[in-house]
Amino acid sequence: MHTIQPESYSQRSFIYRQFSGEKSVDNTFMQVAGGVLALSTGKDSDAPGLIDLSLVPRAGFRGVNAEQYVNSMGFPVPASPNQAAMTSQGECVLRLSQKEFWLLSHPQQNVCDRVEGYALPENGCYPLYCQDSHTWFAMTGKHCPDILAKVCGVDLRAACFPPGAIAQTSVARVNAIIIHHVIGSEQVFSIMSDSASATYLWGALLDAMAEYEGQVYGLNKLIE
Amino acid sequence: MKIMNCPLNGPRNISEFVHGGEVSQMPDPNSCSDMEWADYVFYSDNAIGIVTEWWLHAPSGYWFIAERHTASDEIIRTFDASEIFNQRYEFPIKAEEAVV
Amino acid sequence: MNEAVKVNYLMRLDAPMGLLINREKPVSFTFEGKTFTGFEGDSIASALLANKHWLMSRSFKYHRPRGPLTMAGQDANTLVQLGGEPNVLADRQTITSAMMVEGQNYNGTLENDRDAILGNFGRFMPVGFYYRSFFKPMGVWDKWEGFIRKKAGLGKLDLTFQPEYYDKKYLFHDVLVVGAGPAGLAAALEAADAGASVLLVEEQPILGGALTYSRFDEEGVVADKLRTDLVARVEAHSRIDVLLNATCNAWFTDNYLPIIQGKRMFKVRAKECIVASGAFEQHVVFRNNDLPGVMMSSAAMRLMKLYAIKPAEQAVVLTGNDDGYLTAIELHQQGVLVAAVIDMRERADNPELVSAVQKKGIQVKSGFTVYEALPTKGNKHIRAVDIRKIIARGEVDKASTLIECDLLCMSAGYMPSYQLLCQAGGQLKYDDDAALFSLSNLPDHLYIAGSVNGINSLDAVVADGRFAALKALQQLGLTEETALPVKCTRTLNYQWPIFSHPKGKDFVDFDEDLQAKDIINATRLGYRDVQLVKRFSTVGMGPSQGRHSALPTARLVAKATHRTVTETGVTTARPPYCPEKLAHVAGRIFDPSRQTAMHYRHLELGAKMIPAGNWQRPAFYGKPDERDQCIHAEATHVRNKVGLIDVSTLGGIDIRGPDAAEFMNRIYTFAFLKQPVGKTRYAVLTSEQGVVIDDGVACRINEEHFYVTATTGGVDRVYRDMMKWNAQWRLDIDIANVTSAFSAVNLAGPDARKVLEKLTSDIDLSCEGFPYLAYREGTVAGIPSRLLRVGFVGELGYEIHVPARFGEALWDALMEAGKSLDIKPFGVETQRLLRLEKGHIIVSQDTDGMSHPGELSLNWAVNRKKSFFIGCRSVDIVMAQKQTRKLVGFKLPVTSTKPEEGHLVLEGENISGNVTSCEFSPATNAIIGMAYAGINQSDIGFQLPIRVNNGEMVMAEVVALPFYDPDNSRQEM
Repeated sequence: MHTIQPESYSQRSFIYRQFSGEKSVDNTFMQVAGGVLALSTGKDSDAPGLIDLSLVPRAGFRGVNAEQYVNSMGFPVPASPNQAAMTSQGECVLRLSQKEFWLLSHPQQNVCDRVEGYALPENGCYPLYCQDSHTWFAMTGKHCPDILAKVCGVDLRAACFPPGAIAQTSVARVNAIIIHHVIGSEQVFSIMSDSASATYLWGALLDAMAEYEGQVYGLNKLIE
Repeated sequence: MKIMNCPLNGPRNISEFVHGGEVSQMPDPNSCSDMEWADYVFYSDNAIGIVTEWWLHAPSGYWFIAERHTASDEIIRTFDASEIFNQRYEFPIKAEEAVV
Repeated sequence: MNEAVKVNYLMRLDAPMGLLINREKPVSFTFEGKTFTGFEGDSIASALLANKHWLMSRSFKYHRPRGPLTMAGQDANTLVQLGGEPNVLADRQTITSAMMVEGQNYNGTLENDRDAILGNFGRFMPVGFYYRSFFKPMGVWDKWEGFIRKKAGLGKLDLTFQPEYYDKKYLFHDVLVVGAGPAGLAAALEAADAGASVLLVEEQPILGGALTYSRFDEEGVVADKLRTDLVARVEAHSRIDVLLNATCNAWFTDNYLPIIQGKRMFKVRAKECIVASGAFEQHVVFRNNDLPGVMMSSAAMRLMKLYAIKPAEQAVVLTGNDDGYLTAIELHQQGVLVAAVIDMRERADNPELVSAVQKKGIQVKSGFTVYEALPTKGNKHIRAVDIRKIIARGEVDKASTLIECDLLCMSAGYMPSYQLLCQAGGQLKYDDDAALFSLSNLPDHLYIAGSVNGINSLDAVVADGRFAALKALQQLGLTEETALPVKCTRTLNYQWPIFSHPKGKDFVDFDEDLQAKDIINATRLGYRDVQLVKRFSTVGMGPSQGRHSALPTARLVAKATHRTVTETGVTTARPPYCPEKLAHVAGRIFDPSRQTAMHYRHLELGAKMIPAGNWQRPAFYGKPDERDQCIHAEATHVRNKVGLIDVSTLGGIDIRGPDAAEFMNRIYTFAFLKQPVGKTRYAVLTSEQGVVIDDGVACRINEEHFYVTATTGGVDRVYRDMMKWNAQWRLDIDIANVTSAFSAVNLAGPDARKVLEKLTSDIDLSCEGFPYLAYREGTVAGIPSRLLRVGFVGELGYEIHVPARFGEALWDALMEAGKSLDIKPFGVETQRLLRLEKGHIIVSQDTDGMSHPGELSLNWAVNRKKSFFIGCRSVDIVMAQKQTRKLVGFKLPVTSTKPEEGHLVLEGENISGNVTSCEFSPATNAIIGMAYAGINQSDIGFQLPIRVNNGEMVMAEVVALPFYDPDNSRQEM
């Protein structure tokens, strides 16, 4: 049987080794942008899950004209910082400050292709490097606030952190952006953090999830 | 652990913040006396009362300004730096400056 | 086990006594090697008492037999060894099957402790004995230390222990209620009913506090009724979370409270906090008040109500308040013969209680006290009390009466459990006449309720809980209701429950074996301040942290120094409230580490990894014990062929916008306004003090875009400083820390171009097309890249920066393309050697907190024509002063002893500098290094005296930098 493997591609997830080698037995992969991510890990249950979205395309813009640019491309613009908005195509628009916006693709799409068609404003709008500076994990399951309370000092219970909320904070002592939103059919907590700390953070999150029988899932958990 | 209210991110544990020293006015480095410059670089008043300080919310890389009482450690107010620094700052041209 | 024996072992009082035990489930365990059986829910102590075994431990100093005092985990008498874990509270730890428990602090056996003889030498071991006896003459401590260390300390540490998983977790609530007694339960319900989310924390395994064990009325019905009602409502309430067996161990600013439950420390953040922590019953000070069988009234009540244990056959109750009568009634009801109630007061508050007791045939002796408890042989248990009439404060009549008993219940009153509140800045006040405590000066959002607030009658306690909740709810905006503060005049404290005995053993502090005279003697030695008395006598320093000793100590110090208790005060309460295991603090900690995209390739190639900041980097490739050979081979390979090093950890900052050049010009010492596009320039950063704090290479990508590198350890600070400066300058730019976004390698060596040519078609790699110090963009192996021609290691070299997700593929492609040219990876240590051969400094290795550009011969990199850069004025000032030292290169023959970093450079007898870098250099076949030297020692050819290990002096020759390829022809190829 021929299966695609992460190392066949020049773009690799920051934690692809968590899915290759001995750990790859049950894994299948799917192409995402210029690389592959786990489609299935052979596990499926209601237990909390952690999913690697590191290669899912995303784009960021910062500057006084960023809001206008994001708006001109037809994306919804959250009214205030630290809020996220969803598009009808399942993309997620993050507003991280008055003048900083990130666009997150749905795993089966590429928001960067869409952005390419629009010229950047002459000035006051600078593309960011969030595809490479940050890793992207999604945590699923109803225990997310409980699990994250073991690694993060921000109250993430639904009453304080409803869908659409963003927290820029520290997770297991690494700076991170936590987003409560929907990917595909799932309510998730996305965690975007320093890409160089990805392996460490992945381990720290799985450790925190162990109490709740946390599992590593593939993208099929989100995209069915 | 103390809580500080970040103007961008709201109330957070103080461990998310980095202290950036008192907000102070730099004297013109090209015309002030050595004494004035040394005073600016090395000395702080360290008085009891309300001080205006720089604070960084590290996870978001956001610098803002806080008014804090040095005795009670009460944080009276936090606000965006643009309240004080609201226009482009130009250094006085140095007398012998040539465009380099 | 046969039935008859089992029945005997497990005989208990009838229900409803025994709230905590499950009579269906016997549990067997061993204590001191002997098997005991209790019930599920029993603590070690209750199970032992059920088996009539009272001896739990030996006291710290005199090795006196000790039994339970509080039955609530508040004293040190019940500390036992549980397997590898010392100092487990036997009255808190529940029994499990086959548990193996041992006593502590004895020499021989717990029953027959050879060190018990120490008690006889008490008068030769006065307060401060160890401090005063073993420090003179000089050296005597060394002789005694081994012996004393053996006698000191409690329990045995298992040094082969395996760490277990302890962790921490945040909890967020509107209201935290500490203590689930009647006040706490009422407060929690009031708050939750109004819509607040409530966390209720209880130290014991059951809700109810005093309602679970105390008797509040003659008939004994009130407590159960109220508890059943409150607990049912709390348990059914969706907005109340309950933590049982959980200790709130401290209060920190803004209601941040660590709560320990099992192996987890909860870090609770509460908007409002209500402390309803209750009060500790206080003991009476008289001779032999520490005998097993002498316990707090509340302990006897707990034994009966919680564990269904009949604590004695014949009891005496010594009291300073009406609660003693209720204890007597309970004992009587449970079949204990109560020989007498000894009331230290002249008369009880409630005469009906007195007559109720007398009606049961119990004699009441008002105005009397126990002057001495008489022991059985070996001080193993109480056998009788000597009671005397109180004739003055702390003084008794000579006439004595003996009453036989095997239990003495005592209560001198109650001390609020003020610890958390004092940690929060609360002030404890004491009214000496009324013997009343009060707490004031609490911070906002912190409230107290119940007996900790000096409220003692049950109705008032419940009302006080509601009142505290209302204040919290007002702050939360959940109610507009107001109420009047609760008043309660019921007093429970006897003013002077201290009856010191000429023969001593009248213990003030059970943990530390401190007697009344010890405290008084401390004041006579001049320690008038209660804090000093504590430090000198160690009173309150034991595991119970002064819960019982603080008040009598304060009273004794106050009396001896003719002051009031308010004036003397009590010792400071600091966190933690209860002993905290290191595992709770150190348990699962977060230690972030960063890896480059090529991390696993390094491991596969056998790299010896070292930390660099929070990154992991290859030092070199090969066996750790072959460091020198590996480094020399790698260095030689770079000089002769081609090498590849991962430099992803290098900091990277993008500066974009119309003011990008202006900003660079203000930040760095060099001039950047006219830096050509496509060129790089060395960038030095000085602090406002004029000290060199970072350096890097600035690439001008276009007119409005600079990409500047920074040191691995320095980039975060550089980035922060840049952001802070521009928050003031408001230049039209964007600053982005792109360190993690880019992976980078340095491809270096004479064959570097040949390797790169195989992978690049869109960049002219010729020396003319891509000269030294130029910057280009293009693709390498199809990967979008930023390329810099650099000379850090002194050979033809290309730094290739690519988006991090491509990092490993870039490495793979270069290693593959370089195969035919014998490419080899090299590590950081090799790179340090190569740059040393080129005389390049590493900021923070070759610089220190004083290094200004002049000392480093970096004058060329400082532009003093422009109007500003950070630190410009300081640089002017220091560089105008007479220079005292300079960083120089030095050389030694290979046969010399090699100086190490930090070794001193001497000028006569004075230290003039130090070595900053030193290595054997294969390229020059010499030992080379850099060092700070006195300005008079810095001329080429000077023989520099360096003191190496063991005081040996070597004379190194000052030489011109660089050591290798002085005309830089190799890097410019």
